[in-house]
Amino acid sequence: MAERAQATRPGPAPRGLGDRDIGGMLYTGEMYGLQADLLAVVLGGSVPQAWAAVSRWRRLGYAESARLGPGPAWIWLTRAGLAACGLRYAPIPPALSRLAHIRAVTTVRLALEATAGYQRAGAFWRSERRLRARSGSRAGLRGHLPDGEVHWPDSASRDGAAVAWAGECWAIEAELTRKTVSRTTAIMRDLLARTGDYGGPAAEARVPGRPARHARALYVCSASARPTVLRARRNLGPAAARIEVRDLPGPAALEAAG
Amino acid sequence: MIRQYLALLLLRKAGRGLRRLATVAAAVTLLAAAAPVSLVAAGSAVAAWQFGWPPRRLYGAALWCLPAVAVWLATSALARPRVTDAPYHAWLSMWALAAAGHLAAAAVTVAPAAVPPGLALGGLAWGYRIHRMETGAGGLSPGSAAGFDQRQWRRQVRSARARIAAPGAVPLTRRHGEVAIGGTIRAVRHPARPIAVLPYGRLRSHQVVIGTTGTGKTTLLLRLWAGFMAGALTRQAAGTGRRPLLVVLDCKGGADSRRIANRARRVLRDAGARSTAVWPDDASLCLWDLPPGRLTSTLLDLVEHGTGSAAYYADVMEAIVALAVQAPGGPPAGAADFLSRLDLDWLTAAYAGAAEALATLRSGGQLIADVALRFRSLWRRLGPGFDRPGSFADADVWYCILEGTAETLVAEAQARALVDLLTSYITGPGQDAEVLLAVDEFSAVSRRLPIWALYERARSLGLAVQVSAQSWPGLAADEDERYRIAATAEGGIWLLRTPHPDPVVGLAGNRSTVDSTRRLTGGPAWSEEGSSRAQLIPVVDPDLVRGLGVGQVAYVHQGGVSYIQVKRVVAAPAALPRVAAPPAPAVPAAPDPAAEPEAEPVALAPEARVAAEVAAFLDEAFGRARA
Repeated sequence: MAERAQATRPGPAPRGLGDRDIGGMLYTGEMYGLQADLLAVVLGGSVPQAWAAVSRWRRLGYAESARLGPGPAWIWLTRAGLAACGLRYAPIPPALSRLAHIRAVTTVRLALEATAGYQRAGAFWRSERRLRARSGSRAGLRGHLPDGEVHWPDSASRDGAAVAWAGECWAIEAELTRKTVSRTTAIMRDLLARTGDYGGPAAEARVPGRPARHARALYVCSASARPTVLRARRNLGPAAARIEVRDLPGPAALEAAG
Repeated sequence: MIRQYLALLLLRKAGRGLRRLATVAAAVTLLAAAAPVSLVAAGSAVAAWQFGWPPRRLYGAALWCLPAVAVWLATSALARPRVTDAPYHAWLSMWALAAAGHLAAAAVTVAPAAVPPGLALGGLAWGYRIHRMETGAGGLSPGSAAGFDQRQWRRQVRSARARIAAPGAVPLTRRHGEVAIGGTIRAVRHPARPIAVLPYGRLRSHQVVIGTTGTGKTTLLLRLWAGFMAGALTRQAAGTGRRPLLVVLDCKGGADSRRIANRARRVLRDAGARSTAVWPDDASLCLWDLPPGRLTSTLLDLVEHGTGSAAYYADVMEAIVALAVQAPGGPPAGAADFLSRLDLDWLTAAYAGAAEALATLRSGGQLIADVALRFRSLWRRLGPGFDRPGSFADADVWYCILEGTAETLVAEAQARALVDLLTSYITGPGQDAEVLLAVDEFSAVSRRLPIWALYERARSLGLAVQVSAQSWPGLAADEDERYRIAATAEGGIWLLRTPHPDPVVGLAGNRSTVDSTRRLTGGPAWSEEGSSRAQLIPVVDPDLVRGLGVGQVAYVHQGGVSYIQVKRVVAAPAALPRVAAPPAPAVPAAPDPAAEPEAEPVALAPEARVAAEVAAFLDEAFGRARA
């Protein structure tokens, strides 16, 4: 939570930027980059309004945009933008090989955030970029990094009724392409068995007897990846109950944005 | 003698006939000579008649042609030194080309010289026709004018509908921040623009909307709200405006209000509103955030008071509530806290050492239990909508649903509290929002807070109030209040179809027109002889308002009226559409514990219950899981 506070409190807004701008920049920074149509959803406006915001950011040197692949142009934060947001990430544009995946993860995040339960509970998305930054150069060596984590606060929600799964942490995986069943099963086991935070000491990653870090893992799959994920889940035995599988939202496909 | 008289009559008739024939022959010759101009004039006049355009539209078109004429003249000047001869030469060339059978080339050659004057002449002819019909001097009979007006109305409606039919034809806001409402059908004493626009400032003034159910009132209101939101956000982005806050008090309640709230949420999201809170269904406000003094008066206003001997009881109640709210240690944090304070022992302990408060408790102590009982009942009726954290700052739009039809007493108290909360929010420190308060059928809940008081309070706070009602009587409780509200609507009055538009018609005022009488010459024929006189007629035609179609509205402002076909604001589908659920299987499916908890006689284990709730949550986010 302290980490969250640090990330969402970037200090006084630079001249010309409003709350929406700051929120949009933080979102963009956390997700590596966003396409203009998704940025419009994040900002709660239309695509032209999103471009107006991007032009403000560009004027301040905080963002760059370019048409990197199919569909609308991508927007990502520059070094100055990341610094202004208090995010210590490498200032690089979204990798071409990951465009589709980044878009899919963003749509999953938006779909979750659009629900009343998520908003009422004050849930928090911890992005893969953040997890990767915490893990530093050890990322990937100590197990698989999920595409995001959703943290559900313990405290009661605004209307006094906490969600039934309050206090849980979920691992989120957006599956676009088909992996092998064994690889997917291994990743699922890794996610469900993990006890420690990412970036922490290796000894705490899996400590027998400690509660699992991820109470559930949510797999949001494309049609092609879904059979593999379902077969991998069946291989888990009783732990399969902790794997939720859903379909990717319609706009998740990179082509859908075009 | 008789023969001579008859011969004279015949001669006179023949003379008149010859004169008329000569006039017609001269006119035909002139028209034939100026054939290109005549054709354009005739065509434009027919088009204006067919599409219900005002003459000024043809004048405007003629003016827009002038740059092309200038270019043509400049080009001609290169070929011939005398530019003034260019039209004549074009005319000659046209005839030569036409005689040679090159009709298209002839038309192109003469177009620069013929189109602008043709359009202007067409406008003049069309204007003359309208003038004749409006004054009752045209047509075959005195009734022709009425028929002409009805036909023109139908054509104007058809034209306005066609103008706004194309998607994107009427963007919500225009270049200068004006809010586009729809296609102008007809305008009287207002500029007759093809698209009716409203300056943003008009939305920041009080407005009145009157229209019965099914006339397009919701469509109009959504357009106005979306326009306010988009306009305000544009101004805020440009640094010339403040954050917009739209508060809607829907005082009807029921499923219909919730349907409208859902539509409003989608429409306003497209207009730029980041969040829409629907109170009390999915958002709450905290009454206990009010400053102690205002909280005391609001709490007292929520409870019914009597007069006469009951005034004593009211005074005691005020004293007790003030003691409970302003007790040392701060105001209550919630209803439970407040109710627990309505206890003699608690108050005595809290005010230990305060002689004046203790004296009050000694004299009114026996009534504390009664006061507590009344507030307990009140809170049970009000529900949790005021007792949870929440503020108007939490959302850009607050859609508050008051059950004014089903639970009038509760809705009255809620309305009072909501207005107090909004007032407190606006006057609070650091609040800098442009507020539009839209109240629908407020008269249903205005017993505690007369709408006139709301109007005055809003005026003093600098927020705009938009009052809407299904009829003139629905505006306020009595006629005096209705007139006061309508007369002070600086932002204008919107009249949809309503059977009783006369009060607004009276407020809009009159205009001067010419009325002509015509002499009946026998049989069903009228001569063109008669007399004319100036007379005053209402600016707003009440019969036109009574016959308005769905989505048509008369906008009355500053002694003029614009009849508008409102462009429906279509909410885009959700930005992230949910995956459609597969059709239900024909065979009995496994029971869904999330959907039908009552059907499960055995209580679910905690893990299963959580799993079911998680599944329901994910269904909401991504659609139902496939088998």
